[in-house]
Amino acid sequence: MEAPPVTVMPVTGGTINMMEYLLQGSVLDQALESLLHRLRGLCDNMEPETFTDHELVYLLKGQQGNPFILRARRSLSHPTSPWHLRYLGQPEVGDKSRHALVRNCVDVAASHSLPEFLNEMGFRMDHEFVANGHIFRKGAMKIVVSKLSRILVPGNTDNTERLSLSYLVELSVLAPAGQDTVSEDMRSFAEQLKPLVHLEKIDPSKQRH
Amino acid sequence: MQQREEKQLEASVESLVSRVAHVKSALHSFIYKLENEYERLTWPSVLDNFALLSGQLNTINKLLKNEKTPSFRNQVIIPLLLSPDRDEDLAKLTEQRVPVFSHEIVPDYLRTKPDPEVEEQEKQLSAEAARIGPDVAQKQIQTLNKLCSNLLEKLNNPRDDRDAESAAIRQNKPSFNPADTNALVGAVAFGKGLSKCRPPGQVAAGHPGQGPMISGGPTLQQVTIGGGSSQQAGIGGPVAPQQQGQPGKMPSSIKTNIKSASSSMHPYPR
Repeated sequence: MEAPPVTVMPVTGGTINMMEYLLQGSVLDQALESLLHRLRGLCDNMEPETFTDHELVYLLKGQQGNPFILRARRSLSHPTSPWHLRYLGQPEVGDKSRHALVRNCVDVAASHSLPEFLNEMGFRMDHEFVANGHIFRKGAMKIVVSKLSRILVPGNTDNTERLSLSYLVELSVLAPAGQDTVSEDMRSFAEQLKPLVHLEKIDPSKQRH
Repeated sequence: MQQREEKQLEASVESLVSRVAHVKSALHSFIYKLENEYERLTWPSVLDNFALLSGQLNTINKLLKNEKTPSFRNQVIIPLLLSPDRDEDLAKLTEQRVPVFSHEIVPDYLRTKPDPEVEEQEKQLSAEAARIGPDVAQKQIQTLNKLCSNLLEKLNNPRDDRDAESAAIRQNKPSFNPADTNALVGAVAFGKGLSKCRPPGQVAAGHPGQGPMISGGPTLQQVTIGGGSSQQAGIGGPVAPQQQGQPGKMPSSIKTNIKSASSSMHPYPR
């Protein structure tokens, strides 16, 4: 194992700059079973894990352009677990040959008073949704197959309607900055899921309108 | 002449022993993996192990067929001394699998003829083969060859046969919809289709209409609340963010540790 790369900024805290490498795709409902079978064979052998999460996205609007976005997530299937707060940076505009979307990622756990805390800080909840599905792991790679649902009445997570007739498939790896072999491994894993799912790097800014 | 043969024999036995040792170690590691690393084992690596074993068996076969290898059938092994006592050297040589060179192990380890049942079956098969006559046998051989070559052709030329047939099948059952991918990614990344405060964004084909914003508009078939309450939610929606927007202006002057745009904005310069 090589030593983690030296970061550019002086490391004052105990954290290393973690980057999230991401590939996304989707699969229609009727192909979901075959995808799950394939993932069960390809990934690490463990009990299939399902999850139900409620994610809220908070925005802090400053005076200049881009608002600051934080994502708060809690588990509906384990109501007593802590909340999970995540910051995702802008995708790194590196060389185009990199196969995965790379962005800075900071994850922390938080207590159940997180929404009030964020409101007091000045964040405003922009949107929320419920995601439930399956999660698989292969080494450092995490594969999440989830069904997204819109929340109809704010705060009421029982009343949801599905966003589309497909499941979202995400392949992600959390790694320190600078490890480019990660995207190669991700791409070869994505090859094994074709033609059921096409996992590719989708730039969110290109999606926006 | 004799010495040359002896040398050949010795050399071939040595190489055979080393190949068998390779197979043994491959089997050993495979069994270990199956027993101990059961959770982390993946099908591709199991296939790799099988492929390795098959390759090694192939090399052994090739070695035996090699012209330089003298025919082992001409060699005879006669046990000269059998004793029920434990032989330490033998035990060490065979890794404790054969501790005693006795009357029990001789029929198994020095066997040259197949088992009686196997011999019976072989006799039956050869009798049957002799019975059906050479012409019928030839025809059967030809049919088998034809079937095999057909199969090989189909497997080796995917472009000609497979694409024509299966392209039609594949078109009927696509397993993913790119428009859905974009819709889902948009929803996760910045709430396209989810946000209550933003005006309805671009609606992709097949994307369900915005929920609370359209008062009394059509909604997806899975909606359990009626159109009336969706209006309510719509009205309740824009109100709430405004209330949150108000206190949002004030605390942004507080210096926080979050590196955000608001930290550079100070309504009251200090």
